[in-house]
Amino acid sequence: MNKPLRIALTKGRLEKDTVGLFEKIGYDCTAVREKGRKLILPIPDGNMEVVLAKANDVITYVEHGVCDIGVVGKDTIMEMQGKCFEIVDLGFGRCKFALATKKGSKFYGGYNVKTIATKYPNIARNFFESKGMDVEIVKIEGSVELAPLLELSDGIVDIVETGTTLKENGLEVIEDICPISARLIVNMVSMKLRQKEIEDFVRKVRDNL
Amino acid sequence: MKRYDLITPEGTRDLLFEECLARRTVQKRLTELFRHFGYSEVVTPCMEFYDVFLGTSRTFRQESLYKLTDSKNRLITLRPDNTIPIARLAATRLKESDLPLRLYYDQAVFTNNALLKGKSDEVVQTGIELIGGENTRRADYEALCTAVEALACFGKDFRLEIGHIGYFKELVRKLNIDARTEEEIRVLINAKNYPALNDLLDGIADNEVTATLKKLPGLFGGEDVFDKAARLCSDDNIKSILHELKVVYNRLSSLGYKDKIIVDLGIVRQTDYYTGIVFKGYLTGIGDSVLKGGRYDKLLGEFGRECPAVGFGVNCDAIATYLCKIGEAPKPETPDCIVFGEKGYVVESMAFAQKLVREGQTVENSLFTTLADTKEYAAAKGIHKIYVLGEEEYTIEL
Repeated sequence: MNKPLRIALTKGRLEKDTVGLFEKIGYDCTAVREKGRKLILPIPDGNMEVVLAKANDVITYVEHGVCDIGVVGKDTIMEMQGKCFEIVDLGFGRCKFALATKKGSKFYGGYNVKTIATKYPNIARNFFESKGMDVEIVKIEGSVELAPLLELSDGIVDIVETGTTLKENGLEVIEDICPISARLIVNMVSMKLRQKEIEDFVRKVRDNL
Repeated sequence: MKRYDLITPEGTRDLLFEECLARRTVQKRLTELFRHFGYSEVVTPCMEFYDVFLGTSRTFRQESLYKLTDSKNRLITLRPDNTIPIARLAATRLKESDLPLRLYYDQAVFTNNALLKGKSDEVVQTGIELIGGENTRRADYEALCTAVEALACFGKDFRLEIGHIGYFKELVRKLNIDARTEEEIRVLINAKNYPALNDLLDGIADNEVTATLKKLPGLFGGEDVFDKAARLCSDDNIKSILHELKVVYNRLSSLGYKDKIIVDLGIVRQTDYYTGIVFKGYLTGIGDSVLKGGRYDKLLGEFGRECPAVGFGVNCDAIATYLCKIGEAPKPETPDCIVFGEKGYVVESMAFAQKLVREGQTVENSLFTTLADTKEYAAAKGIHKIYVLGEEEYTIEL
C-alpha cells in the first residue's frame, strides 16, 4: 500500500467543519474526534493521515511538501502568499475582510497619512497599494478593534463575520475588501506525483459539499 | 551595537562534511553528464548590472533581488538566474560564434526570500543552454532527453513534466484583454484556483476560449491529456502547439521514458522569457520542482542577437537534500592510514606520507608526539592502519 496522503487541518472551527465533511464522505474519523494529545491521526479506511496545526503552519507544511493537502482559510493564504495549488472553495468558514473605522469618522478625508491597525499587514498593504494610497501599518496581535478606540490608528483591516464586535465598540465597516472561506490546498509536487489519489479525494470532497 | 559575527545571514548556511559531499556529488554527476553530451562550461560573474535583469521578458520582483552599488553608484544585483547572464554572454562576447552553442554552468543564484519560511537564498544550479540550431524541434528533444538523463542520475523515482507556454499565451491573446487581467488569469491558473478563475472568466466572455481556460488547471496527467485538450479547442494555432508537444512526448516515450513523463498544459510560469516548450522535474519527497527549463526564443534578441534557444537548470541543493534523505548520499571517506614519526623522524614520516599519497592512498599525518596518543586518535577516527617511522619501521593494524 502507498504511503498515506497527509492532510493538514487548521485547528478549531475549520477542523470541526472539515471532520464533518469527511464523515459525510464516509471516512472513519474516530481517531480525529478522540485525539487526546496526539498530533498525527490516522483515517485508516481512506489511507490518510490528519495533522492538526495552526493556520499559518498548515500552509508552511503543505508548501514544503511534508503534508500533501491542507484545509485553511483564504485569509491565511492571502496573508502568507504561499506557493500551493488552491483547488476547492469548501464554502464553510465564510466571512470577509473589511476596512472599519470609528463611526462617523471621515477616513478618506484630509491630507495626513492614515494609520491602519491589523493582524494581516500584507493584506492591508496590498489593499491600499491597489488604491495607490500611502498608509502606515501597525501590526496588532490581539483585539484589533482596540487600536482606533485608543487612537493608535485611524482604521482597522480585519476579518468581519457578523459585525457585532464592531458595533458594540462604536466601529463600522466602511469598505469590504474581499470575501473569505475555507480552501483546500495541495502541494504542487504531490498534485503531480500522486495525481490519481488526490483527484479521487478532491472529487469526493466536491461531491459532498 | 549587536554584532553578527558568529552566524550567517538568513537564508544561507555552511555546508559541512556529508551535506557538502552530497552537493558536490550532485554537481559532479551533472557536469560530467553535460560534458559528455558535448556542452562546455562557462562562468559568469556573481554580480551583474541590475539592468541585465530588467526587460520585457525578464520579470523579477524588485524585492526578490539582492542589490548593491558599484564604485560609480550604479545598481548591481547578485544574479537571480543563470539563463539571462548566459543569454547576455551568447549575444555579446560569443556573437560571432558558430551555432549551435552548447553551454553549461554550475553556479549559485541568489533570491531575497521572505524571512523564516525555510527557503534558501543561495541555491546552486547546474544546467545547460542550447543556443541556436537549425531545427528547434530537435533542440527541444535534445534538451528534454538531457533533462531526463540528469534526473535519472539520482535514481528512478523522478518525473519530468512537459507543457507549452504558447498554449496559454495563444488562448489569452484571443480574449483581447489588458495585460493586468491576463496576469490575473495566469496567477489563478498557476495556483489551480478553479473557483476564482471561473468567476473571473465568467465576467469576460462565454465561448470556446474561456471554456478551455477554465479547464486548463486540470489539463495535466498522462497521454490522455492530449485527447482532452484536442476536444476543447478547435483553433489551428492551438492544434499545432498540441501537435508539437505530442511529437516530443511520443519521442520521449520511444526512448523508454513513458511512465516518467507527465504533461501539464497549465504550466504558466512567471519567469516569462519562455516562448515554447516548458518543463519541470520532480523527485518523490521533495516539495518543489528540482529542475526547470524551457524554450526562450526572444531573450537573446533583447541583447541584440536574434537567436532561438532552449535550456534548463537543476537545483543541486534540493537534490543533495534528497540524496541525504533517501540514504544515497556518499559517506565522507576515512583515511586509509595514519603515519606517525617518532622523535627525530619528522622528515622521514612526511616523505613516507607523500609517497603513499602519490600512490593514491588517503593518508593522515600524525601531529602527536607519542605513539599511544596516535593510536587513541586513530581508533576514535576509525583509521585501521598506523605506519610508524623511527629506528625501526613497522605497521600496526587496528
